[in-house]
Amino acid sequence: MTAPSRRAFLRGTALTAGLAGTGVLGSCATPITSVGAESSLQYWNFFAGGDGLRMIGLVDAFRAEHPEIDVTATTLAWGSPYYTKLAMAAAGGRPPDVASMHLSRLPTFAEHLLEPFDLDELAELGITEADFPAPLWQKATVNGELFAVPLDSHPFVLFYNTEICDAAGLLGPDGKLNPINSPQELIEFGRRCAEVTGGNGIAYAAADAFVNWMMFWTLYSQNGGTLELPPGGTAQFDREKMIEVLTFMQEFTDGEVVSQTADAAGAIAVFGSGQAGILLTGEWEVSTFLTTGTPFSMQEFPQLYGTDAVRGDGHSFVLPRQRDLDEESRRNAYLFVASALKNSLSWGEGGHIPAYGPVSESQEYLALTPQSNYREAADKIAFDPDAYFSGSGSSLMGQAGQILAALHLQSITPDEAVDQLEAWLNKQLATPSPV
Amino acid sequence: MATTTTTSTVSPGPARPLDGRVPKNSLTTNRGGFWFVLPFLVVYALFTIIPVLYGLGMSFFDVSLAGRPAQFVGLDNYAELLGDSQVWRTLGHTLLFTVMSTVPLVLVALGMALLVQSGVRGQWLWRFSFFAPFLLPVATVVLIWQWLFQNDLGFINNTLAQWGLPTVGWLTDPNMALLSTVIITVWWTVGFNFLLYLSALQAIPESIYEAAAIDGAGPFRRLVSMTLPLLNRTTGLVIILQVLASLKVFDQIYILWAGGTGGPEGAAAPILQYVYDSGFVNYRLGYASAISYFFFLLIIAVSLGQLWLTNRRSANRKGQ
Repeated sequence: MTAPSRRAFLRGTALTAGLAGTGVLGSCATPITSVGAESSLQYWNFFAGGDGLRMIGLVDAFRAEHPEIDVTATTLAWGSPYYTKLAMAAAGGRPPDVASMHLSRLPTFAEHLLEPFDLDELAELGITEADFPAPLWQKATVNGELFAVPLDSHPFVLFYNTEICDAAGLLGPDGKLNPINSPQELIEFGRRCAEVTGGNGIAYAAADAFVNWMMFWTLYSQNGGTLELPPGGTAQFDREKMIEVLTFMQEFTDGEVVSQTADAAGAIAVFGSGQAGILLTGEWEVSTFLTTGTPFSMQEFPQLYGTDAVRGDGHSFVLPRQRDLDEESRRNAYLFVASALKNSLSWGEGGHIPAYGPVSESQEYLALTPQSNYREAADKIAFDPDAYFSGSGSSLMGQAGQILAALHLQSITPDEAVDQLEAWLNKQLATPSPV
Repeated sequence: MATTTTTSTVSPGPARPLDGRVPKNSLTTNRGGFWFVLPFLVVYALFTIIPVLYGLGMSFFDVSLAGRPAQFVGLDNYAELLGDSQVWRTLGHTLLFTVMSTVPLVLVALGMALLVQSGVRGQWLWRFSFFAPFLLPVATVVLIWQWLFQNDLGFINNTLAQWGLPTVGWLTDPNMALLSTVIITVWWTVGFNFLLYLSALQAIPESIYEAAAIDGAGPFRRLVSMTLPLLNRTTGLVIILQVLASLKVFDQIYILWAGGTGGPEGAAAPILQYVYDSGFVNYRLGYASAISYFFFLLIIAVSLGQLWLTNRRSANRKGQ
């Protein structure tokens, strides 16, 4: 889940990596041990941009703690290119010793391609269930075993421009945004911001599949909706609640206060240049606005319906299945995971909420604003529904996002949107599952 | 995957002696020749022939990227794709794109070549300008156009608005998605066809034009009755290369809409993206292989059809 602002880079590398890279997997997975090193560790991840720099920082910190371990960290383009390579390397039996993964992608991988963590070994290193927010640990557990150690959670959040919102009279005496308690209040806040900017009130990437999905899944979860996707069956969901949310989403992008056509880069540019009072997107965009110097703050996405929930995902570490397990490398993988968690304060600077309790409850993290403003979202994460075609960067996200983009453009009705989504889901469920 | 292959112009190959006898020490007959070709053959086998056969095999299994052991499923994948509306829809997009892109890519290239050849001043500058976009990597090209096409902030829509014209949803309107892709592709790759045409134009001897001028043929007459017929072979070549290249459209669409599903409402998703999505996003490698072989057969049919047409045409000409 690198940020939309880094898409430019991803777009550039995604294709070459995705298409050309598959041929050389075997050689990539071979541990290259430099002369004199005691033991080695191969680590694959997908972090680019600011996250990439912070991840390099974590790897360097580990190198400093364990100079006897020769670490090779490989960064690949996020999304399908990354997961394709990881899956192929694991299927070939010579994957890296440890790898990054979105928790929403875990169930599919855990089935055949990963090995569970040993809880005792983790506990020895100071990592126990009690250290993590319940939704993360639960999501990291598949068939009763822990297949991933969460590094962070990254929710959908609300950014606001403090100057514009102040001028619009939307800030409380503490300088924070007044509470938004209903869908209509969100629209009203947007309208008041638009009066100040003379243009957009809320920057929202209505043409972007990812942002649309985050918004939809947040609102539908808040409205108490669920989505069950049994292989071979049909999609089970609450049509009424879905229609209610979609009707609001269509009303929300009115083309005046909220654009119907902005893409991710456009929405970020509009907010970053002070042309909108509020931005709805993932928290990882924080680095962008710290750089642009936009006067802004952040908070949890407001609770607009009855249930307190927000769409999010989590980055985590996993142990790909080895054909010939090297005990020492496996041990190094545990050491690396523990080290990264304990040093994850720097990771939190990028906007992600550290998953590891001793870090997320530390004074240093609490003092980190605006990044820690929304830390409580970690306990309310609504993960994507379970299915092999679901999760961050999945085809469900792409497909639903596309339907939602048409909804925002007013070219389909909420009813038609639900019909399209249902038809697509049922088609996916009817085709033979690859898992 | 680019929409223009990098094959160079047709070279007639080493000329055979008029008596038809093959010289004794040519590279094709000399046994030593084999050893020179061997390194290429090894690479070719390793990275083309073997993967092609391996892929064909995969299309008969339900190979999964998610690591589940594969089972032989016979023709199930092929049966499934025939009934998969998304296969036909994306195939339609690819074919439509091929038609929509080939026509301007041939005509615009010809027009530009004629302009440059007509002796405008600063010929090198035109030649360079027309060819320069072709040298850019696809990601750069798409990035440039993404901002030009941007709905609310983009240069094109801003300019339209300044002129009081309605703005266009270049990247968000399903009816525009393919056309936008065509515009980008033409700008990006027309330079290659332009170069083919220009070299063909430069190969036409000046003396023919002089003779025609003496006979009283005006510029238009010379263009229609002499230049264009003499460019026939090049046009045939350009069309064949262009059709094959356009059928392979994938990367600019994939990058333009950031992976996703191929534009608004999937209106520009080419069949190769469906192959990619089925195999790499949805883990169904076996099914994805079947779709690619289905498409491969189609490309072979197109190529054979074109070969047959060209052969018949040249046979007719010889018969006259």
